[in-house]
Amino acid sequence: MKNRFLDALLNSIYGFLPWRLLSSPVMFVTEIAFIISVFAAIFPAQFGIPYTPVYLDFYVSVALMLFLTILFSNLSSSLSEGKSKAITESLKSLRKEVTGKQVTDNGIQEVSYSNLKKGDILRIEKGDTIPIDGEIIEGTGFVNESSITGESRPSRKILGDSVTGGTILVTDSLLVKVTSNPGETFLDRMINIVESSKRMKTPNEIALTVFLSGVTLVFLVVVSAVFAESGFLSVTPNLVIFIVLLIALIPTTIGGLLPAIGIASINKIAQYNIIAKSGKSVENAGDIDTIILDKTGTVTMGDRRAVKFYPKKGVEYIDFVRACALASLKDQTAEGMSIVKLAASEGVTSEMKDLEGYDFIPFSAETKYSGIKSTGEEIVKGALKSIKAKYKISDVYLEGLCNGISARGGTALAVARNGEFLGVIELNDMLKPGIRQRLELLKKMNIKTIMCTGDDDITAAYIAKESGIDEYVANSTPMDKYNVVLREKDRQRMVAMVGDGTNDAPALAQADVGMAMNSGTQAAKEAANMVDLDSDPTKLMDVIFLGKQILITRGSLTAFSVANDFSKYFVIVPAIFSVFPQLGFLNILGLTDPLVAITSALIFNTLILLMLVPLALRGVRYKPTSINDLLKRNITIYGLGGVIFPFIVIKVIYLILVAGGVHW
Amino acid sequence: MSYVSTDSTGGTNFWVSFFESQRLVSGTIIILIYILLLSIFAYLISGYIAKLYRGEKTWLDPISGRLVNFFINIFGEDAKKDTKMREYFITLLIFNAAAGIFAFIFFYFQTYFPFAGVTHNYSFSLSFNTVTSFLTNTNLQHYSDPLHLSYLSKTFVLTGLMFLAAATGFAVSMAFIRGILNENGRIGNFYRDFLVSVFYLILPLTILVTIIFILSGVPQDLSQYVNVNPILSGGIQRLPLGPVATWEAIKNIGTNGGGFYGSNAAMPLENPNWFTNLVEFLSFTVIPLGSILSLGKVFNNRGFARTLYIVLISIFFFTTFMTFFAEYSGIPSITSLGTLFTGNMMGKETAIGISQSSIFSSGAVFTSTGAADSVLLAFTPAGLLGLMGNLILNDPLGGVGTGVLNIFMYVIFAIFITSLMVGKLPELMSIKISSKEIKYSTLSLVTHPLLVLIPFGITMLLPALVIGDPNPRPDVISSVLYEFLSAASNNGSEVGGFATNTAFFNIADGILMLMGRFILMGLQLAIAQSFATKSPKVETGRTIETGSPLFALMLFVTIIMLGVLSFFPVLALGPFLSWAKDFNLFIGGLL
Repeated sequence: MKNRFLDALLNSIYGFLPWRLLSSPVMFVTEIAFIISVFAAIFPAQFGIPYTPVYLDFYVSVALMLFLTILFSNLSSSLSEGKSKAITESLKSLRKEVTGKQVTDNGIQEVSYSNLKKGDILRIEKGDTIPIDGEIIEGTGFVNESSITGESRPSRKILGDSVTGGTILVTDSLLVKVTSNPGETFLDRMINIVESSKRMKTPNEIALTVFLSGVTLVFLVVVSAVFAESGFLSVTPNLVIFIVLLIALIPTTIGGLLPAIGIASINKIAQYNIIAKSGKSVENAGDIDTIILDKTGTVTMGDRRAVKFYPKKGVEYIDFVRACALASLKDQTAEGMSIVKLAASEGVTSEMKDLEGYDFIPFSAETKYSGIKSTGEEIVKGALKSIKAKYKISDVYLEGLCNGISARGGTALAVARNGEFLGVIELNDMLKPGIRQRLELLKKMNIKTIMCTGDDDITAAYIAKESGIDEYVANSTPMDKYNVVLREKDRQRMVAMVGDGTNDAPALAQADVGMAMNSGTQAAKEAANMVDLDSDPTKLMDVIFLGKQILITRGSLTAFSVANDFSKYFVIVPAIFSVFPQLGFLNILGLTDPLVAITSALIFNTLILLMLVPLALRGVRYKPTSINDLLKRNITIYGLGGVIFPFIVIKVIYLILVAGGVHW
Repeated sequence: MSYVSTDSTGGTNFWVSFFESQRLVSGTIIILIYILLLSIFAYLISGYIAKLYRGEKTWLDPISGRLVNFFINIFGEDAKKDTKMREYFITLLIFNAAAGIFAFIFFYFQTYFPFAGVTHNYSFSLSFNTVTSFLTNTNLQHYSDPLHLSYLSKTFVLTGLMFLAAATGFAVSMAFIRGILNENGRIGNFYRDFLVSVFYLILPLTILVTIIFILSGVPQDLSQYVNVNPILSGGIQRLPLGPVATWEAIKNIGTNGGGFYGSNAAMPLENPNWFTNLVEFLSFTVIPLGSILSLGKVFNNRGFARTLYIVLISIFFFTTFMTFFAEYSGIPSITSLGTLFTGNMMGKETAIGISQSSIFSSGAVFTSTGAADSVLLAFTPAGLLGLMGNLILNDPLGGVGTGVLNIFMYVIFAIFITSLMVGKLPELMSIKISSKEIKYSTLSLVTHPLLVLIPFGITMLLPALVIGDPNPRPDVISSVLYEFLSAASNNGSEVGGFATNTAFFNIADGILMLMGRFILMGLQLAIAQSFATKSPKVETGRTIETGSPLFALMLFVTIIMLGVLSFFPVLALGPFLSWAKDFNLFIGGLL
C-alpha cells in the first residue's frame, strides 16, 4: 500500500512534464501559470511588479499553491492508474508460458506456447494447466478457474464449452481445439483493455473536455480583458494577482479530476470481476432503457424443486408419496432428488434396496418421462401430456390441477402406475433471493425488463408477475431474443442483455450492452462488450449502477466546480480592485486584507481539489430514485452547495491566516 | 415626491391623481401591460408559426403559396430538392454574400445612382459596416446622419437587406427544427425556407404594421427633403421624409432595429406617441416569442414551451425592472438636491416617459432588434447594466428565427449537464444528444464572450482608438463594452459617447457581426444535420423532463451562470464602478 502510494507520487511528479498535460487543457494552463509565477517570484523586477518582502512571500505562496494544484491532480490520476496497473500485473502473472500437448498425425507432441496456433488440437490431462484459449471438442471435466474468477470451486465443462488459458483441469482429460493465437487470447485482450483504458476517452468525456477547454479559453480572455481594462483606468495591474484570478476561475477541480474518474470506472468494474471492453459500454450501461433477462439462472434459481404432492381422489396419500419416491430414487437430476427429499420430510424414507427388481427408465427427450419398471409394476413420472400420450388416458381432475400449478408458475409432474394416474407432483422454480428487490430498483430507475424463457405462457406469466418483470417472451428461442433486441433498438431504446450460448452471440452483438458469461462459449464472449468472470447474470444490474455513478460523478463535480467560481468572483474581484473603495459593495465577505483574501481563495482552490480526490476515485453516492428526486438532491448538494460552501471555507481560511499572523 | 394633478376639468378623480402621483406603481403597471399584451399576441401567432415550422397548410396558401411557387420556379431545380446541411449553409452564405456585395456597391457609389438626393458617398469602412450590419440583422447605426443616405439606398437597398436578414434567420430556424423532426438526414432547402419566411410571415406582418403606422401619423411618401426653420435652434434644417412607415414596420417585425433617422425611434417622426411605441414594441417581440411558444405545438410538448417562456420572461422581468427602477430612481446626487422629482428623464421623450422607455429599450436588447426610443448614453449606470444583461446573454429572445436557435444551444447544454447529474445520457425530444452536438452547442455558447472580449481587450490596451473620449473613466468602458456586445450579439443598439464611425470600429464591428451571425448559424445547422439522421425514442418518460420546474430552474441558472461567469469581472470596472461612483454616463463626462 505504502509502496503504491510512493509510486503514484513519483508518477505525479513525472506528470509535470508539459506534454503529459496536453490532454487536459485546464491543467496545461495551470502549469504555464505555475511556471510564470515561479519566474515572477524570482525576478519580480523584470515583471514590473512590487517586490517588498510582503509581496515576495505572496508570490512564493502562489507558486507553491499552483504546484500543489497540479500535483494533486496528477496524484489522483496516478493513484487510479496504480490501481489498474496492479490489476494488469495480476492478470499478467497468469499468463504463464506452459507447453501444450498437441495431437498431430504422428501422435502427441509437446509444443511450446508461442508455437501454438488457432485450430491446433490439444490434449489436456488431469492436473494440466490449459495453455491457451480453446473449445472442448471431446470429453467432460472440471476446471479450476480460480486464477481468473477467484471462485475456488471447479466448474464443469462439457463439449462445446470454452476453456481459458491459465486455468487448470482438475478431473478427467479433454481434447481442446485452440481458438486464438498466442498474444490474442482472452487474457491478453483483458490486459490490453485495462492498460489502454486510460487513453481512451468516452464520448461524454470528450464533450466535457470541449466544454472545459472552451470555458478555460473564455476565462483566459476574460482575465486578459480585465488586465487591459485596469490598465485603461490607469491602475497598474499586478500580473501574479491576475494569474491567481485565472487559476481560481478555470475549472481546475473537475479539470484535474476528470482523467482519474475515467480510469477509476474501469478499475471499479474490474473489482466486480467484470472485464469491460471499453469505457463507453460502461457509460452506456448507465443509460439502459430495457434489460433482456433469461428466466433460468437470472430470475430464478434454475433448479426446480418438488414442493407438494397431489394424489388423485381414491389414492392413499402415503401410497402416492411412496410411489413418487420410488420412481425418483434413481433419477439423479435436481428434480428427482428434491422429490425424494420432500417424500422423506413427509415421513416416507426409501432406500436403494427398495428398488431391487426394478429397472430404471431414464428420461429421454423423445419420451419426456422417466420411472422404474419391474415385471409387474411400472411407475412413470413426466409431463402430463407425455404420460397421456403413453397410456392414451386422460383425467379432468388432474388436468385442472396441472393448470392450477402452471398458473402459479410451477411445473406439474404427473405420476402414473401401470397405466393409471396416481396424482401430480408440484415442482417449483424458486425466485432468486433478492431478485424482487433488485427488479424493483430497476423499476424505480424506469428500466423496462423483458424476460425470455423456454417455459410455457402460463408459467412465464406467473414468474413475471411474482418477480416484477414488465414483459415476457414465453416458449422463446435464441432467435426470439435477437428479435426482441432488434425491436427495442428500433424504438431507439438502449438495450442490455446477458448471454452465454453461441446462439446468443447475434443478440449480444446487437445489444448496446451485452454481457457474456465467462462460462459461455467463445463466440458469445467475442460478441459481447463485457465479460463477467463470475458468470453471475444479476451483476448486469451492478454495471448499470456503476455506469450511472460515473456519469453522476462527472456531472456533479462539473456543477460544483463551476458553481465555485461564483464565490471566487466575490472574493478576488473586490480584492484586485481594492484601489476603488466604491467597489467595496462586492466584498460581501468583508475580507479587509486584499492579498490575504486572494491567497485564501487560492488555498481553497487547491484544498478542494485534494478533498475531492477520494470522491472522484470512489464515485458519488448513487441511490436509485426517481430522476426528479435525484436531480433535486444533486442540485442542492453540488449546485447550491458549490455556491455556498466556498464562501464559508474561504472566510474560515482567511480568519485562520489572519489569526496566524499573516498580514500582507 | 408629490405631484399635483392639474386636471383641466378641475375634478379630482382619485385614480387619476393616484397614478399621476405614484409613478412607481403606474410605471410598473404599464410594464406589466406591455408584457401581458406581448404574451397574448405571441400566443395568438404561435399556432400559425407552428404550422410554418411543420410545413402544414395555412390560410395564406392561396396568395403566399403562389408567390413562393412562382419564385421557386424562377430559381429552378436548386430550389426544389431537400439538401443536407453543407449545401444548405453554402447556399445561404452565397445568397447573403451576393446581397452584401450588391448593397456595398450601392453605398460606396450612391451618388451615381438615381434618386440620390445626397452629395457624397460612404467611406469604405462605413459602407462595409452598414452592409454587414443590415445583412446580419444587427443594424448598428454608425451612419447617424439621415441626410447621408439616399432614398434609393434606404428604400431599396437597406429595406431589402432588412427583409433578407430576417428571412434568413427564420429559414435557419426552420431548417433546425426540421433537423430535429426529420429522420432522413435532410434539413430542407434554403430557397424555399427563405421564400416561405418572406411571403408567409414577414411580408404580411410588415404590411399590417405599415398600415397601423400610417394611420398613427408616421410619414410614408417619397417627397423631397423638407426645409424647416425651428424657432429654438435658429437656421434652416433639412428634414428628410420618405417611406418611414414601411421602414419602421420591417425594422421592427424583422427585429432589425436600424432607424430611418439617426436617433432611431426617439425621433417623433418614427415614433410619434405612446400607441406607436406600444406597436413597435409588440412588433419586434411578437415573432421571437411567438416562435418560442410555437415549439410546444411543433414538438407536441407544451411543457417545453412553457419552460422556455417562464425562463425567458423571468430574465426579461429582471432586466426590465432593473432598468426601470434605476431610471425611476434617477441620480441620487441630483435627486438629493431636492428639486422637483422626475427620475432620470434625460434623453427620454416626454410623450413616452420612463417606464415605456425602459420596457422599449429592454425589449429591444432582449430581442436582437436594438431599436431605441431614448438616448442610452443618458441612462443611469444601473439602468444600462439592466440592458447590458440582455446583451451579455446574447439577446435571450433573439431575432426572427435566431431566438429559437440560441435558446436551443442553451437547452442542449443544460440538458447535458442535468443529465450527467442524474446519470443519464442526454436526450432532446427523445433524440439522443451525442458528443458532437454538445461540442457544437458549447462552441456556440463560448463564441459570444470570445467575440466580445477579444476586441474589447484590444481597445482597452489602445485607448487612442476611442476617439472623442479616451478618458480613463468607467463609463467609457461601459460604452466600449456595450458597442462590442451589441455587434457580437447582432443587436445593434448603441450607447455611443465616442466616435463610432471610425475605421477601427467600423471594420471591427463588421467582422464581429459577421462572425457572431454566421459562425453560430453554421454550428447550429451542423447540430440540425446531426439530429436529422436520428429517430426519436418510443415511449419516453424516463429522461430529464424538459417541462418540469426543476429543468426550468436549471436552464435559468445555466443561462445566467454562463453570462455572469464570462462578464462579471469585466463589468466590475465598467458599469459597477460607475454605478458605485454615482455617475450618470452623460453627467460623468461633465463632472
